[in-house]
Amino acid sequence: MQLNFVGWHGLLVIIFYALFILCTTVYFSYSKTLRDSLKGFYLGGKGLGVLLLFFTLYATQYSGNTVIGYAPKAYRMGYAWFMSVPYMILVIAGYLLFAPRLHVIAKKFNFVTPADWFDKRFGSNAVTLVATILMVYALGNYLLEQLIAMGHAIAGITAGVIPYTWGVLFLVIIMLIYEWLGGLKAVAIADTINGIMLMLGLFGFLIMVFNTFGGLTDAAHYMIENVPKKIGVPPLSVSQTWLSLYILVGIGAAVYPHAIQRIYAAENERTLKRSLSRMAWMPFITTGVALIIGLIRIKAFPGLGKMESEQLVGMMANVIASKSVFHYWVMMLLFAGIIGAIMSTADSVILSFSSLISNDIYGRFINPKANEKKKVFWGKIIGICVVFLLLFIAWNPPGTLFEIFVLKFEILIQIAPAFLLGLYWKRMTKSSVLVGMIVGAVIASGMTLTGMKTFHGWYSGIIGLAINMLICVVGSLLFPESTDEQQKVEQLFSSREFTGFNA
Amino acid sequence: MGKEVKEPIRYIWIWVALVVILLISIPWYLPKGTIYPIILGFPYWAFISVVSVICLSAFLVYIMHKYWDMEALMEDEKEPEEKKEG
Repeated sequence: MQLNFVGWHGLLVIIFYALFILCTTVYFSYSKTLRDSLKGFYLGGKGLGVLLLFFTLYATQYSGNTVIGYAPKAYRMGYAWFMSVPYMILVIAGYLLFAPRLHVIAKKFNFVTPADWFDKRFGSNAVTLVATILMVYALGNYLLEQLIAMGHAIAGITAGVIPYTWGVLFLVIIMLIYEWLGGLKAVAIADTINGIMLMLGLFGFLIMVFNTFGGLTDAAHYMIENVPKKIGVPPLSVSQTWLSLYILVGIGAAVYPHAIQRIYAAENERTLKRSLSRMAWMPFITTGVALIIGLIRIKAFPGLGKMESEQLVGMMANVIASKSVFHYWVMMLLFAGIIGAIMSTADSVILSFSSLISNDIYGRFINPKANEKKKVFWGKIIGICVVFLLLFIAWNPPGTLFEIFVLKFEILIQIAPAFLLGLYWKRMTKSSVLVGMIVGAVIASGMTLTGMKTFHGWYSGIIGLAINMLICVVGSLLFPESTDEQQKVEQLFSSREFTGFNA
Repeated sequence: MGKEVKEPIRYIWIWVALVVILLISIPWYLPKGTIYPIILGFPYWAFISVVSVICLSAFLVYIMHKYWDMEALMEDEKEPEEKKEG
């Protein structure tokens, strides 16, 4: 994404924007009490209200990749890329499968990370450890993707004045400072600022794209004449991918560790419901806008290859910015918003990553006797080390953005049965969950690594999940828990949170 | 106590309706390559998809408001403490 129109102005905008976020978040979130407890630091103490919860959910689910990666995808696929709107809505349906009950249970047992649920439900170190490793691995990939996107965006907006490497480093340091000082509260405030910027930037961009390149109807007529494949009813194989993405993203994104932690962090049920209700409409004004921008570009910049089309947002911005000083600054703000959006996804991931290390790996397996202050401290330190390790990997980025995006789901989605079945079915056994997660993850990643991302249109993650689910169900039925274990599960399931509906 | 606890997972019709909406939103049942009519810049099949997806969002919001209410469980947890304070 090379933006010829910026340079030193871009550099100043990024520096001021990043410092503004740093000062605002630290000012509003700094609290010594919150910093020293796991729940305070990672879940914002008593919880987040509607505004902060909504924006932190929004900014976490939608990244700068939504603009940079999704618009070119629409350019290549045409109208069929509309699938990106419903699959993002389905994340909310994914939440509905388990969030109502999990929220109540999390509040009762003071959960901090998703691994707390594994520990409570299955009481097995092996299950908790494997789940934690899968989450840490997937989050690592996800963070890596965000760091790569951040570096490219910052190098683009400053026209190379800030090199890729230094751009990432600068923003990572800003994020680490406000996270160290304010935890989730700071992240949620940064997400709110970045979320508003992304919405405004996208709308500004859409209006200017309409003005400069014409509307959707013009683009539709152009496609009918020149590329009818991009506007006609797609073949069945595309419909199958469409359905496959419904399941993959709908379930996969809902069980993101940082998404689950936002269910824990909601102040109360009403807050969670209100935030999710608003989230159900957000794909229209986020991935929907990216779709329209991509479609209009089919007419504006015809015949580009895959790699060239990845540069399209920058190409359009260059044309728009050359129109007037006003257009120039709106484009500048759009790109600041994109970088902010990448930051706000990355900061949530870093925090979640750190919580898994401090609460689960350090606090559960390395030093269980440590007090909360010490657990938080080591979570931060190890988290920072991992971020810098990932930075080294980010400086040699692999593949294109969308391919990495699919990669993380296939592993992460394998923890879903423990929530989808484990919350409702008391016969589910710990050994079946353990074997299911491992086999599902091995199949999914094995398929991807051997270049077989899909099988008859089904993503490897979905195939791994189907086998994982099958193992969970058949394994639990064939090899039930011992009487002692069954009694423990019975006890847990007899509490009001599980039986409430029938009580 | 007394307040009814509602959880979306317990209502099978919700998930059946969801699957129906989702199946309508994917153009698998329409003839490949067809385009006309164009409605508001969308080919007819994409327009059907847009309308069904708007229904999807509206449906999810409706479910959240009408069929998700577990607060009674939280209130039960709080009650003894409040009584103690009183």
